[in-house]
Amino acid sequence: MNNQKLILTEHLSKIYKMESTIVAALQDINISIDYNEYVSIMGPSGSGKTTLMSILGCLDSPSSGSFYLDGVDVSGLDDDDLAVIRNHKIGFVFQTFNLMPRANCIKNVELPLIYAGVPADERHERAIKALQNVGLGDRMYHKPTELSGGQRQRVAIARALVNNPSLIFADEPTGNLDTKTGEEIMKLFADLWRNGNSIILVTHEEDIAKHAKRIIKLRDGLVIDDNINPTPIYI
Amino acid sequence: MKIFEIREAFLQAFDSLKSNRMRSFLASLGVIIGISFVLLMGWVLSGLDKAMSDSFKMMGVDVMYVDKFDWAGGKSWKDVRNRPNITLRQAEKLIESLTDVELAVPVARKWQTEIKFAGNTYNGITSQGTYYQFGFTPGGTIEDGRFFTQNEDQFNSNVVCLGYKVAETIFPKGDAVGKEIKIEGRKFLVVGVIKKQGTTFFDFLDNIVYMPLSTFMKTFGKFRRTFSIAVKAGSVENLDNARAEVEGKMRIVRNLAPGEENDFSINETKAFEAQVATIRAIVWSVGIGMTLLSFIVGIIGIVNVMFVSIFERTREIGIRKALGAKKRIILMQIVFEAMILSFLGAVLSFIFTSLIAYLTGTIVIQYVPEVSFLSPYMPLDLLLISSVISIIVGIISGLIPAIRASNFEPVIALRYE
Ligand SMILES: Nc1ncnc2c1ncn2[C@@H]1O[C@H](COP(=O)(O)OP(=O)(O)OP(=O)(O)O)[C@@H](O)[C@H]1O
Ligand SMILES: [Mg+2]
Repeated sequence: MNNQKLILTEHLSKIYKMESTIVAALQDINISIDYNEYVSIMGPSGSGKTTLMSILGCLDSPSSGSFYLDGVDVSGLDDDDLAVIRNHKIGFVFQTFNLMPRANCIKNVELPLIYAGVPADERHERAIKALQNVGLGDRMYHKPTELSGGQRQRVAIARALVNNPSLIFADEPTGNLDTKTGEEIMKLFADLWRNGNSIILVTHEEDIAKHAKRIIKLRDGLVIDDNINPTPIYI
Repeated sequence: MKIFEIREAFLQAFDSLKSNRMRSFLASLGVIIGISFVLLMGWVLSGLDKAMSDSFKMMGVDVMYVDKFDWAGGKSWKDVRNRPNITLRQAEKLIESLTDVELAVPVARKWQTEIKFAGNTYNGITSQGTYYQFGFTPGGTIEDGRFFTQNEDQFNSNVVCLGYKVAETIFPKGDAVGKEIKIEGRKFLVVGVIKKQGTTFFDFLDNIVYMPLSTFMKTFGKFRRTFSIAVKAGSVENLDNARAEVEGKMRIVRNLAPGEENDFSINETKAFEAQVATIRAIVWSVGIGMTLLSFIVGIIGIVNVMFVSIFERTREIGIRKALGAKKRIILMQIVFEAMILSFLGAVLSFIFTSLIAYLTGTIVIQYVPEVSFLSPYMPLDLLLISSVISIIVGIISGLIPAIRASNFEPVIALRYE
């Protein structure tokens, strides 16, 4: 398939059933994202951004509709297959960094490689390289608690990249950082995009969303806008 | 399941235990107590076993005693008491008629006799009268000096061989041979000391003095006395044969009609063994019961801590899954954690109980000689058994929390606060 998309959803919806209420977190989402795109998903709190990302990132499954990742119908896969996809194709950067607090930077970055079955020596080398690439070559044996917020997010980015995924998800990656540090992280994402990665950035801030080349706007679980950003920052 | 997965799960498990040492220790406390129980119990039992089998060997596994009484307590006391005494004549008749045995000698016993030496009185000692041939049985093996001779036998000399404990008590310096003691007011020359027969539990075997039968009857009187006959089969293989002959001939000596019940018992060291086996079984089952109980407590302890631990680490587990950890890796990690906990508990128990054993065998023994039957070392097979048990306990207690954890949704990495 030469016009295969990286991401293709058809009538995707996610409904949370609670005791008394039903929340339609996503309704009839039809989006298609190409390889090496830089997309931000924007919307107010509760609009369904995180829900959409968790489905596109194979962390959760939709209530209905279909979702093709890399041409594969993801709805037909079991938990372990999804784990393999997350491990090989997807890198996650979280708002709260989500590092293992007791492990040092190298150990943290090695984690996806451990689950990929990479031998220890190679793992170590690749983790060091990934940390150097995000400018943390001199902090490799520190634990997350001994690092600043910006540095922690860099470790998380190194971890997201270490297994060479083609698709990077970032949920409010600058949410816990000051403006200046946030900008540095955004520069890093621009570099990643230039290196051929696809990036999906989730944010509620217009300023952050504007770093991407395409902006998808959500409200109440619906796509209300999907446009090219003519002036992406750093690109 | 790949090797690297097992190794990594193991390492991750170890890491997460290391970071919470105190809780890990508390979690394994139940196992520590349980395994210590097993080890100490096994240690005591194996000491007992060895002591007993040593004693039996000393007494001679091919020796049997024809007696009015039943040592194993298999017969009702009333029946046994009403049996006619075995007279010396009957004993001698039996001995003469036996052909398939190596040796047979009559033995007469007087319990609770009194010995005096150097102004001291010693009570509770058993006097036995027998023939010089008794010196050829394992029970008459000499440690020091000699057994009495055929001559002394015939001329009812006042000579005596002391059992090991008697000699030790009266002559702590070990210079018994050649001394003169008084038994029931008569003077006796000590000619020998018998080798140690029993252990702590069978020291009655060493609390005996032996004298020629004629001397015995002169001292204690010959009437209204029952004799037993010590029969040495010659080999363990010949035991059945010898027993059959002894029984048949003794029935003739006692004039029993066919179909009439034996009015005597043939006692063997085996009879003890059967009795001891019952005691062992009781000790084991009580011990096993207590052990099971403490293991249940141990399992509950670990299950509890593992549940607390996985819920505390919900987010961490979610992140691991988000990064590509498969269910079985998480499962293994948690099971390994429980297993390591339990096994380390067992290791602590080994150290703890080995220390107890060593101190008992080296220091306590100097003050409490009764513990001499205990080995200063934990038997190795016990260590092996309890490591296996601890690992099984660990797996059992880790399984349910592990299944729970492995089913955590990866999406909690995004949601859980
Ligand atoms: N596990 C859940 N159970 C029930 N409802 C949920 C669950 N997760 C999300 N929701 C609901 O789904 C809707 C969308 O939530 P989502 O987290 O995707 O919003 P968001 O756009 O990421 O918001 P924010 O900017 O605050 O992170 C919300 O109304 C939320 O309450
Ligand atoms: Mg969100």
